[in-house]
Amino acid sequence: MPLSDNELIINANKGDVLALEELIYRYDKKVLRLAIKFTGDSDDAKDIYQEVFIRVYKSLGNFQFKSEFSTWLFRITSNVCITFKRKYSKHNHFSLNDEENSAYVSTIPDDSELSPENLVVNSEYGSKINEALNTLSPNQKLSFLLKHLEGYKIREIAEMMNCKEGTIKKYLFDAVRRLKIQLEKSH
Amino acid sequence: MNHNEYKEIIPFYLYEELDFEKQKVFEDHIRSCKDCANELESFKKLFADVSEESKSPVDPKLLLEARLELRGVLRAHQNKIHSSNNIKDYIFSLFYKPLGLAVSGFSLILIGLFIGYLVFNSPVIEKLESDSTKAERLRIQNINFIDPDPSDGEVEFTFEAITPGRIKGNINDSELQKILTYAVLNEQNPGTRLNSINVINANQTQKPDDEIKSTLITVTKYDNNPGVRREALKSLNELPADEEIKNALIYVLLNDTSAGIRIEAINGLADVSKQGINLNQKDLISLRDKIQTDENNYIRFQAKNIIKEY
Repeated sequence: MPLSDNELIINANKGDVLALEELIYRYDKKVLRLAIKFTGDSDDAKDIYQEVFIRVYKSLGNFQFKSEFSTWLFRITSNVCITFKRKYSKHNHFSLNDEENSAYVSTIPDDSELSPENLVVNSEYGSKINEALNTLSPNQKLSFLLKHLEGYKIREIAEMMNCKEGTIKKYLFDAVRRLKIQLEKSH
Repeated sequence: MNHNEYKEIIPFYLYEELDFEKQKVFEDHIRSCKDCANELESFKKLFADVSEESKSPVDPKLLLEARLELRGVLRAHQNKIHSSNNIKDYIFSLFYKPLGLAVSGFSLILIGLFIGYLVFNSPVIEKLESDSTKAERLRIQNINFIDPDPSDGEVEFTFEAITPGRIKGNINDSELQKILTYAVLNEQNPGTRLNSINVINANQTQKPDDEIKSTLITVTKYDNNPGVRREALKSLNELPADEEIKNALIYVLLNDTSAGIRIEAINGLADVSKQGINLNQKDLISLRDKIQTDENNYIRFQAKNIIKEY
């Protein structure tokens, strides 16, 4: 019978490298997929992936077993994603307070972001969804992805993003509205 | 609730995030409101499309690259911790030599007793003894005590039981290449990592697979030994240029502390560019930055030359 996440954490904290590896491989696809959708670029996604698991590795000893490991992991992932966007925001059209000022700001991805190899796109419509996602602010996009990609509850997303549930509801509401408008325009 | 408020809760109705009462009220409302019913349908379609699109699997090649790079970074980090622990142990031993000697002596006796126990009594070893050749060759190493206190009659430790292997074969043999690729990433001894890269590089007759390329990229970027990084970079420069190799060269150019390795990277970048792999806007910004900041004249000169082509 496979070990539970908590058992793997205990073993990893005792120096069992294989337990750490198993724990990482249990969730790393989800983290990478979220990072790809969040950044729209495979290299940036790999940077986020790496930073997330380095943080996991460094702070696994402090894991309190008060929440699910996956919730803790996605809290780290959320932090890394938002920090990543802040770091690279000089090339980005969003201000950090973009959610608060509701004016629509468009982000036009550069050519490299739109190249087929850099996006996980299955269809033309898929690429339209990705383009529409790129018009969302980082917090809106992250809330949306945690909801639609991972199926987390609003309460869990709020915990991961260290926000109030009401704030997440606002992000989600604005995100779906904007996506709907964008996709209707492209039809 | 007014009509607009009903409209606002549609996504949350679909998320099943409304309380029972609100849900019921909403369901009653859409039976009589065509506008909200249409809106509900269009949101349903949007969510279904997004859900369908998000099922697209992660590219296995990308996942493999990410895993290999992570492994390289974690290994470098572990080596750093290991070195710093060695220094701490050395300083500790200077101050507490008599105590240190006593502890080491006691630990050695304990390890000896347990290896003896393992060899003669352990069920693990019993299993292995059915294959007597394997048991004879079994090497036990990296013993780490979890509970070294013998006062309660029990101790606990982890160890690695290793069976040495030997392989002789053609340098093009895929199994041999796999073992060497593993060694390049995981072997502690930099000399062995270097030799493994050289052998991989000697295999010129066939196109290296993606795993080898990813390994070389990881080592080029993250190995803590400059000699190994340089050798991996040379091997990388021998491969047919592509986007991933170009990105690795840019990374090395921006991050490596050794000027020699950065020179190797910028030369590689010039070749990559000649082979038709174009530099994008982000790459050119990095090169412009190099012209301003790199302490090495040659690198600044080469960066200028490359930019001139664009």
